[in-house]
Amino acid sequence: MLVTLIRTFIIFITLIIVMRLMGKRQIGEMQPFEFIVTLIIADLACIPMADVSIPLIYGIVAILGLFILHQLLSVLEQSGFILKKIISGSPSVVINKNGVDVNELKKNNMDISDLLDSMRALGYFSLEELDYAIFESNGKLSAFENADAPKSTSIPLVMVVNGKIYNQNLQITRLKKEDIESFIKQNNGSIKSTEILTVDGTGRTYLKQKHQKYTTPKFLLPEGTSW
Amino acid sequence: MVRSIVSIICASVIIFFGVLYEGKHIDNTFNELNLGFHLLYDKIDEQTATSDDVLSIQKLWLEKKKSLHVFIPHTEIKEFDMWLSETVTLVRDKEWADAISKLEVLIELSEQIPLTFKFRLGNIF
Repeated sequence: MLVTLIRTFIIFITLIIVMRLMGKRQIGEMQPFEFIVTLIIADLACIPMADVSIPLIYGIVAILGLFILHQLLSVLEQSGFILKKIISGSPSVVINKNGVDVNELKKNNMDISDLLDSMRALGYFSLEELDYAIFESNGKLSAFENADAPKSTSIPLVMVVNGKIYNQNLQITRLKKEDIESFIKQNNGSIKSTEILTVDGTGRTYLKQKHQKYTTPKFLLPEGTSW
Repeated sequence: MVRSIVSIICASVIIFFGVLYEGKHIDNTFNELNLGFHLLYDKIDEQTATSDDVLSIQKLWLEKKKSLHVFIPHTEIKEFDMWLSETVTLVRDKEWADAISKLEVLIELSEQIPLTFKFRLGNIF
C-alpha cells in the first residue's frame, strides 16, 4: 500500500512539472495535439501508478517522451503560419454577411444543429443575430453580433436543411410540407436549392438559398401556433 | 520559444543518457549473471556442484536485482527468483538432471531479457 502511495506521489509530481512546463494553454483552450497529449498522459500516469509490477520509470519516460513531442510541436507551430495550419488547423468562418456557409460546416464535419448548439451556448438563438461566426481551431465558436437584427423572442426551429425537410419540426409548427414548399416558391426558390430555413414562433424566418444572401421573409403561421 | 527549445534539449539529454545507462547496466548485470550460471552449469554437469555454489549465485542475483527493479518488469524478476530457488533445492538433493534443466531456463532468461531492451524493430512493434 505504501509503495502505491509513494508511486502516486512521484507520478503526480512528475505530471505537475510536465503540465507546468507545457504552459497555460494545456489546461485551458487546447489545440488538437494538446488534447491528444492530455488524453494519453492520463493513462500513462495511471498504469504504472497502480500496477506495482511495472517499473515506475516506464511511466516517467513515456510522459517525458510526450512532453518532448508536445514542446516540439509547439515550437514548430510557432515557427510559421503554414506549420501552424498543418498542426492545429485554421479557424473556419461558418457565418458571414451572406449567411450560413454550409460548405464550411461540411468541411469541419458539422451540420447546422452543431452550429445552433454552439450559438445557444453563447446566448444566440437565431442565425440572423450574427454577422460572423467562426469556429476556432480549438473547437470554440467566436461570434460577431449583428447589431441590426431584432432580438429573438422564440426559438427558431429548423425546417429545411440542404434540400431536406425536417419532418419532426412540422408537427411542432403545425405546418405541412406543402406550406413549406409554397413559401420557398414565393421567395423565388425551391426546396432542393434551400440550404437552410428556420422559422420562429412569430413567423420570422431565416432563408438561405444556394449561392445567395440570406433573407428573412415573414411566414404566416396557422392561427394559435406558438412554441 | 527559447524556453521550449531548452526544455526539449534538457528532456532529450535526460532520456539519451538514461537510455545509455539502462542499456549498459542491464548488459553488464546479465553478462555477469550469465557467466555465473555457465560456471554453475559446468559444475552441475560434472556433478561436483555444492549448495554453496548455488547459494553464491543466488546471493549475486539478490544483490543485482535491487537495481534491476528500476528497469525490468517485476514479474520477470519473480520468475528469476523462482527458478533459482528451485535450482538451490535440486542441487542440495543432488538431482542433477532436474537442476540442469532449471539452470538452462535461467541461462535462457539471462540471455533473452537484455535483448528486449535493444533497439530493434521487433522490440518496437
